[in-house]
Amino acid sequence: MADAISPPGPAGAVRFLGKEAAYWRLRIKGAGLLLLTLGIYRFWFATDVRRYLWASTEIGGDSLEYAGLATELLGGFLLAIAIMVPLYTAIAAAALTLDTSEEAVAAIGFILLVLLGQLALYRARRYRLTRTVFRGVRFDQHGSAWRYALYALFWWTLVVATLGLAYPWAQAALQRFKMRHTSYGDLAGSFAGSGSALFMRTLALWFLVIGPIICAFVVLGHTVDWDALNKMVTAGESNPLALLTGKTGETVLAVFAAGIGTSLVAALLLYPLFAAMMMRWWISGLRFGSVTAQSLLRTSQVYRIYLRFAAVLVLFLLLTFAAAGAGTFIVDRLLKPSADAKELLASIVTIVLYVVIVLGASTIYQVVVTFAMWRLGVQTAELSGADALDSVCAAGVPSSALGEGLADALGVGGV
Amino acid sequence: MSGMASATNLALAAEAPCAPAVYFDGTSSVRNKVIVAATETGLRIMAAQGQHRVLDEWAYAELRRMSGPEGMLRLARRGETLLARLEIRDAHLTSIIEDRAETLDRGGAAERRLRRKVIGLSFAAAASLIVTAAFGLPALASRIIPFIPLGVEQRLGADIDKNIRPALDSQHLGSAFTCGTATSEAAGRAALDKLVGKLAAAAALPFPLRVEVVRRAEPNAIALPGGHIYVDSGLIAQAQTPDELAGVLAHEMGHVARRDGTRTVLQTAGLSFLFGMMLGDFVGGGAVVIAARTVLKSSYSRRAETAADAYSVDLMQKAGGDPRALGDILARIVEDKDQGLKLLLDHPETKERIAAIDAVAVPGRTEPLLDATDWAALKQICAPVPPKS
Repeated sequence: MADAISPPGPAGAVRFLGKEAAYWRLRIKGAGLLLLTLGIYRFWFATDVRRYLWASTEIGGDSLEYAGLATELLGGFLLAIAIMVPLYTAIAAAALTLDTSEEAVAAIGFILLVLLGQLALYRARRYRLTRTVFRGVRFDQHGSAWRYALYALFWWTLVVATLGLAYPWAQAALQRFKMRHTSYGDLAGSFAGSGSALFMRTLALWFLVIGPIICAFVVLGHTVDWDALNKMVTAGESNPLALLTGKTGETVLAVFAAGIGTSLVAALLLYPLFAAMMMRWWISGLRFGSVTAQSLLRTSQVYRIYLRFAAVLVLFLLLTFAAAGAGTFIVDRLLKPSADAKELLASIVTIVLYVVIVLGASTIYQVVVTFAMWRLGVQTAELSGADALDSVCAAGVPSSALGEGLADALGVGGV
Repeated sequence: MSGMASATNLALAAEAPCAPAVYFDGTSSVRNKVIVAATETGLRIMAAQGQHRVLDEWAYAELRRMSGPEGMLRLARRGETLLARLEIRDAHLTSIIEDRAETLDRGGAAERRLRRKVIGLSFAAAASLIVTAAFGLPALASRIIPFIPLGVEQRLGADIDKNIRPALDSQHLGSAFTCGTATSEAAGRAALDKLVGKLAAAAALPFPLRVEVVRRAEPNAIALPGGHIYVDSGLIAQAQTPDELAGVLAHEMGHVARRDGTRTVLQTAGLSFLFGMMLGDFVGGGAVVIAARTVLKSSYSRRAETAADAYSVDLMQKAGGDPRALGDILARIVEDKDQGLKLLLDHPETKERIAAIDAVAVPGRTEPLLDATDWAALKQICAPVPPKS
């Protein structure tokens, strides 16, 4: 009889009970339906996915519950459309009628859209939190989404201006903002991760990835004959590529290729390490009242996930191209199409291949990387002081799904 | 008193099937170990410890199934603002409750029905969007075009020209990009003006034409919104008779007359709205939308090309030229070059085009639109570029 009650784990135990096979089925079916409905099915798909992930996550013996409805997401999206359509129209009309330069309108429009995107992300997080129920009590998020958006715009501008050096502090500041405004019932959240600590840990990565590009620019500064270039420009040569002909041009291109190539290879090889660092740092910084989280994630586990992703992706691409090749060959042999029909066939195959590969690669990524990272993050997390979770009083009310809709309309995504 | 209640509860529990469960009352996260009894009217939730005090009673009709992990029946109460939850892992009791509470949708049949309806409606909505984009948008664009002032279209053309000219001038010739400006090319320019004049007189276009021959090896011509036409020197090299060149010019004038540049802008904006916004952006699935857009855009441009061909045939007949010459030069260009995917998607198949041209063109006595001297001069409109110092 005791077994019939949920298996009681230690108070701080965090477990993930999801099965990859079941998640594959959920994802593949969803991708097929997205294809057939041109994506309109996404509200129901996202809801199914969240229900599965939430229900599979267990803290102290009790699983989370996703209480959101697909119709709420649809409603939020329609509301977002009602807001975005006049806004887009206004931007387009301004670009056509105002005497300002296109660039100015584009810049203002871009900033506005970045702000709206951040606002949407914050409000979407609020929707998800208020739809997350644990032990009969919901999570909540308060705080002004506009303030968050401005704050995020400020920090991201700084990140770009410092070539990414400010990224750790930006992350710490934004996480602090989000967690300070997050609560579970009457238990207030906070974030203890330090930007400086993250900076020290990721600095070597920054040198290896951004360094080669900076080196390329420094080398260029010494090789290019700036005087000659200046003369050419004053002589009326307007074409920048013409300035790069001859020996100097070859050097410039070679230096750039070497710099960007090294940077790309480094980024590719180091990304799993970066993802592991970020996840460890983020989980270990989460606090709810006196409850603290600690991540015991090992970097090698993350590398295993990404290596598996690369292998599955390569296999999928090989199989897809083989199938397309075999299919075309058979049609060629059996139907002996005319030259025109062949070309039409080729364009159809190209379009179908494109859709299959993008949708397939995204499904593989969602299962082999996103799902696996979620599972890994949950399984390697440890809570201390989790007793505080046993007597939390309920608070908060469900929020609207407008944020989700805006995020959707703006293409800044969610789960 | 409590002894009495407890005795009754136990008596009821003995009759009704019951099992241990976990109950959260929705006011706090306190985890209550309970005994749930399935009575005739509903669920009786009793504390597992001590006197089996009744904590709550939920009628079967109020029960609502919530999302939960495999092997657990997670129940909530319909219409309740509190998030009270009852979690039952006992398979036997779960089965009894599902039998008695119809709202729980045993086996999920009602949920599947609803989901199938959603899928069906989503599919219908997607199909409706595609049909609207394929037929509704072009029709709407045709209705709107007459209301757009010519000045707006000319400004649009100037804007596009600013962007497209550097792209066309791939050899960075600058001012030498345009043919017919040097003194040695003046006769060619005069011949071109004569040819364009004959066509324009028959055409009655809404815009003043500006035909510019440029140094580009491609056998091509482009009409921008507002009456600006680029003719590549490669096309003049390919043309064997003045009427072949005139046929292509008349085709481009067809785009000008039909205001196809503005039409494209309107249709693209409509398509962006329908497919970019209504269908939104979602992980991976965006590929379907991009593919659908590509196919629709190519269908628009194929229609525009067909219409411009018909216009060319009509105009050539009015001007007294050979309407079939367009087909001749098209055939020669296609023979010369690999017909790539883009050409295939954007233009109707050349054979079909030629057949369509021949079908509407009334054969008759024609005489070249330019005499041999003028034609020879026009062929020389692009003198070799003097080497740069």
